[in-house]
Amino acid sequence: MNASQGKFPDQSPDPGRWLDDHGDYLFKYAVFRLRDDTAAEDAVQETFLAALKAYKEFEGRASERTWLVGILKHKVVDHFRRSVREAPLGDESDEGPEHREFFERPEPWQGHWNNDYAPNEWHATPAELIERNDFWKVFNDCLSPLPERTASAFTLREVDGLKSEEICDILSIRVNNLWVMLHRARLHLRNCLQLNWFRREQ
Amino acid sequence: MAVKIYDKLKHSIRYWLLRTLPTCQQTVETISQSMERPLSLDERLKLKLHLWICAWCQWYIEHLQIIRETARAKADELPEYAPGGLSDEARERIRRNLTNQN
Repeated sequence: MNASQGKFPDQSPDPGRWLDDHGDYLFKYAVFRLRDDTAAEDAVQETFLAALKAYKEFEGRASERTWLVGILKHKVVDHFRRSVREAPLGDESDEGPEHREFFERPEPWQGHWNNDYAPNEWHATPAELIERNDFWKVFNDCLSPLPERTASAFTLREVDGLKSEEICDILSIRVNNLWVMLHRARLHLRNCLQLNWFRREQ
Repeated sequence: MAVKIYDKLKHSIRYWLLRTLPTCQQTVETISQSMERPLSLDERLKLKLHLWICAWCQWYIEHLQIIRETARAKADELPEYAPGGLSDEARERIRRNLTNQN
């Protein structure tokens, strides 16, 4: 059996090798979700420490990497939980920008798209986009100005596909707050991607 | 002649719908909600009619779907192919901390 598939519960764990084999992978997994190097490094370290403690329960049913990613997922969620505990949800602006400027104000077209912000055709498919590292840079930069809780809600929903109830529990919010946050995050991100990525690519 | 009348009628219906239906600002909120919960019959009907007359909101739906699909695809295969990784400094710090624990 290959070492990184490792089983052997009686063998002593080798965290140094875990770090060499899986450190970069776990870090990239974490930093994509947390968008913060220090927080991602901490999550990786906590993962290895937890793995050391839980090593006896790891019976090689999954690959070593799958097992470690499973632990890391919990560490990422713990980070989200901790950071919202430090910042309770205040007034409505905490949910993110409303972007009223995207829509016309004066009659007769009040509430309809303003020409400068209206969606237009994007010439790209998801398969093409995931390959483009510069796209992910823009994607991250576009999420950054959002309130942390809103960006976290977006990540948990659109990246990890968690259910509403789970996200509400992690972020200590009600489902109505969640829907407002997701809407504002989408409105903001879509516009930001169009301006900074799709318009330039064309 | 008949074609002209038909066009005019179509135009008037669209114009009337645009003024009667929920605005784009309200519709994009409904579109976002449709990704979270089943819409009511009333909401679905208004959304359908709005999309019939509004290409911008049609793009809006398509873009939200592209964003969701891309983010989920990335989540599944990200770390293997993405550049970057732990900095040397972070790697050594973690290694020290792990050795102390072991």
